[in-house]
Amino acid sequence: MSAHGETVGRPSSARRAKDLAFRLALLACLAVAIGLLGILLVDAVLDGAGALDWDFINSFTSITADKAGIQAALWGTIWLMGVCALFIIPVGVATAIYLEEYADETRWWNRVIELNIQNLAAVPSIVYGILGLAFLVRGPLNLGQVVLAGGLTLGLLVLPMVIIAGREALRAVPSSIREGSMALGATQWQTIWRQVLPAAVPGIATGVILALSRAIGETAPLIVIGAATVIFANPTGLGSDFTAMPIQIFDWISRASNDINDYRPLAAAGILVLILLLLAMNGVAIWLRNRYEQKW
Amino acid sequence: MTNRFHFQNELHGLERSALGGLELVAESLDRALETVRNQDIELAGMVIADDDRIDGRYLEVHQGILSLLALQAPVAGDLRLVAALLHVIRHVERMGDQCVTMAKLVPLDGHEPPAEQSMLDLIQRMGEQARKQVIQCGQAFARRDVEMAQDLVRQDDVIDELNRDVFHHALELGDDADRREWAMHMMLVGRCIERIGDNAVDIGEQTAFVVTGLFREFEDASHPVAAPPTA
Amino acid sequence: MVIGQPAPKSAEERTRARREPIFHLEGVSVSYGDKAAVRGVSFDIARNEITALIGPSGCGKSTLIRCLNRMNDLIPSARVEGSVLYHGQDLYGSEVDAVEVRKRIGMVFQKPNPFPKSIYDNVAFGPRVLGMKGDMDEVVQRALQRAAVWDETKDRLKANAFGMSGGQQQRLCIARALAVEPDVILMDEPCSALDPISTGKIEDLMLELRKDYSIVIVTHNMQQAARVSDRTAFFTVDPEDRVGRLVEYDDTETVFTNPGDPRTEAYVTGKVG
Repeated sequence: MSAHGETVGRPSSARRAKDLAFRLALLACLAVAIGLLGILLVDAVLDGAGALDWDFINSFTSITADKAGIQAALWGTIWLMGVCALFIIPVGVATAIYLEEYADETRWWNRVIELNIQNLAAVPSIVYGILGLAFLVRGPLNLGQVVLAGGLTLGLLVLPMVIIAGREALRAVPSSIREGSMALGATQWQTIWRQVLPAAVPGIATGVILALSRAIGETAPLIVIGAATVIFANPTGLGSDFTAMPIQIFDWISRASNDINDYRPLAAAGILVLILLLLAMNGVAIWLRNRYEQKW
Repeated sequence: MTNRFHFQNELHGLERSALGGLELVAESLDRALETVRNQDIELAGMVIADDDRIDGRYLEVHQGILSLLALQAPVAGDLRLVAALLHVIRHVERMGDQCVTMAKLVPLDGHEPPAEQSMLDLIQRMGEQARKQVIQCGQAFARRDVEMAQDLVRQDDVIDELNRDVFHHALELGDDADRREWAMHMMLVGRCIERIGDNAVDIGEQTAFVVTGLFREFEDASHPVAAPPTA
Repeated sequence: MVIGQPAPKSAEERTRARREPIFHLEGVSVSYGDKAAVRGVSFDIARNEITALIGPSGCGKSTLIRCLNRMNDLIPSARVEGSVLYHGQDLYGSEVDAVEVRKRIGMVFQKPNPFPKSIYDNVAFGPRVLGMKGDMDEVVQRALQRAAVWDETKDRLKANAFGMSGGQQQRLCIARALAVEPDVILMDEPCSALDPISTGKIEDLMLELRKDYSIVIVTHNMQQAARVSDRTAFFTVDPEDRVGRLVEYDDTETVFTNPGDPRTEAYVTGKVG
C-alpha cells in the first residue's frame, strides 16, 4: 500500500470487485431483456420470411393459405391510424396547452383533471373497447362498426399519452421565452401560438408517433367494437367496415393448421409487416426529434 | 458583522501612518526650536537630515492611497477618509519643510549671534503653541472630533498675534546691523511657525470633511471667508 | 463659522426643475400569496435618466421593477397594492390593457433570452404581434443599429440567434425591446451573466440610449450603478419582518460619496450585505 498522502492510490480490491459485480449484473439484465426479444424476433423471421412477398401484401385473406394476403388488414390499419391521428393531434395538443398554459393549479378541478389523465393512461385497452361500443358504435353517436368508430376508439385510448407528452414538451420550453414574449406586448395566446408551440413541436410529434405506435398494435378494443375478422375489401371511407393487422394475425393464428393450409407462416409474416411498420414510425419519431431538437 | 476586513485594516494602517507623521513633525519642531535657542549647528544638521523620514512617510502614504483607490474602489465614508488622508499627509510634509527652513536659518548667523532674550521668548511661546496644535489636530482627526478641530482656529489666533508681536519687536531692534539681520531671521522663523499652525488648522478642516461630507474653510485671520467650494 | 449647515442641494434642485417624473410610486407593496416581498415604496423615476435599484438579495428590487410593466401579473399569487402612476395614469387601473403597458415599457432580463428563431425574426417578433405597420426590414435594421449590434449581424440576419455570444445575445434582446418603440426600458440585472467586455459595451449603450429613453436598472453590482446611473434607490431587507423596504433615494453621486442613511453607507462600502 502506498504511503498516505504521497501518491494517489488505486481503489482497494474490494471496491473494485463490487464495481465489477455491479456492472456484470446490469449487463446480465440487459442480456435477458434483449435476448428474449431477440429470440422472439428471430423466431418470427424464421417462420415468416418465406411467406413475405409482394403477393402477400397485395392479396386479401383466403381460406387457401397460399393465396392469403394482408392487403385489407394493412389498409384497414392505415385508415385507422389516419383517423386516430386526426383526432388525437388537435384534441391532445389543445388539452395539453390548456393544462400547461392556462389552468390555475390551485383550482381543485384542474388537479382532478391532472390526476385522472395519469389514470386514464393506465386503464386496460379493452375498457376503451367497451366505451367505444357503448357510445360510438351504438348509443348517442350510433356510428356503426365502421372505420370512424374504430379510429376514435383507438384515439381515446392513446389520447392520454399525447396529452402527457404534449405537456412535457410544453414544459420543456423555458419560461424565459414566454416572459420575453409577454414583455414585448404579446398576448398569452400569441405567445403560445408563435413561440411556445413551435418550440414544442418536436416533443409533441414524438409523442403522437409513440401513441400511434401503441395504437397500431391494439387488438382487444377493435374486436369489441366489431371490427371484421374476415373482409375482402379495403376501406373506402369513414363509414366502411374494416379490419386491422393485429386482428388478421390473430385470425390466422387461431385457425387450425394442417399440411394443406399452414397459416402459421402467414401469421409470422403479418407480425413482420407490423414490426416493420412500427420500426418505420419510430424511425420517423427519432429523426424528427434529432432534427428539430432545441438545445436551450 | 463587517466584511472587507483586509481593506479596513489597510485603511486604518494608512490613517495611523499619516497621523504618525504628525509625531515626527512635533519632534522636528522641538529640535528646530532648540536649534534657534542654542544656535546648535549640529542639531540643525540633524533636523535637515531627518526630514527625509517625513518625506518617506509622505511617499508611503501616497502610494498606499493610490493602491487603495485602484484596488478597493472605496466609496462614501471610506472615500472621504482616503481623500482627506491625501490632504493630511501633504500638510504633514509641508510642516516638515517649515521645520527644515527654520533649521537652515540658524547657521547664517555665525557662532555668536546677537540674540535678544524677549524675542527668543516670543519665538519659544509661538513654538509651544504650534506644537500643541500639531498634536491636537492629529487627535481631532483620529477621534473625528469636529469641535476639537474647530478649536484649532481659536488657538491659531494666538500664534497669529504672537507673530505680529515678533514683527513689531523686530522693528524696534533696529540699531545694530548684525542685530537687524538676526531679527529678520527671527521674523522668518516666526513665519515658519505660523505656517505650521495654518497647516494644523487645514488638517482640522479635513476632519470636518470626513465627518460631514462638506468642505468649508474655517474662518481665521489669514484666510478671508470664501465661498465654500463644492464637496 | 458654523459647521453643520448642509450645503444647498443645488444638484437636486436643478434636477427636479428640468426633469418630470415618468413614474410616481406611492405606497407600493407587493406580496406573493401571504408573504410580503416589499412594502411601502414611494419614489419618482425621472425621464431620460438612468435610475438604479440596488440592495442585498431578497430586498425586493426585482419584484418592484416588474411592477412597472405589470410582469407580476404573470404570477397568479402576486398582489400589488398602492399606486403606480405612469405619466399620471394608474398602471393598474381597470381600463388599462397590460399588453399596451408592455409595449410602452419594455424589459430586458438577466439571462439573455433570444427566441429560437433567426436574428431577424427575433427583432421583428414584437412589431409583428403588435400589428405595427411599416417596412419590417427598416424596423429591424434601425433597432439593431440603436442597440449597437447591427455591424455584427447585418450579414447574418437569417442565422439562428443562439449562435451569438452572450453579450451579443443580450444586445439582441435590447434591439428586440427597442423595435416596438417603447418609452421606458427596464433592465433586470442585464449584465450579471456577461463577461466584463460585454458588460462595458452594454453600459456604454445604456448611456447612449438615455437620450431617447428612460431606463431603470436593477443591479447587484454597485460599481455598475455608480458608473451608469443618475439616481440610485437603495433597498434593504428589514431585519424584523424580512420585508423589503426603500431606504434611500438620491443622486448617485450623493449615495456614493455622502449617503444620508447609515444602512446605505454600510451597504455601499461593502461592510454589510
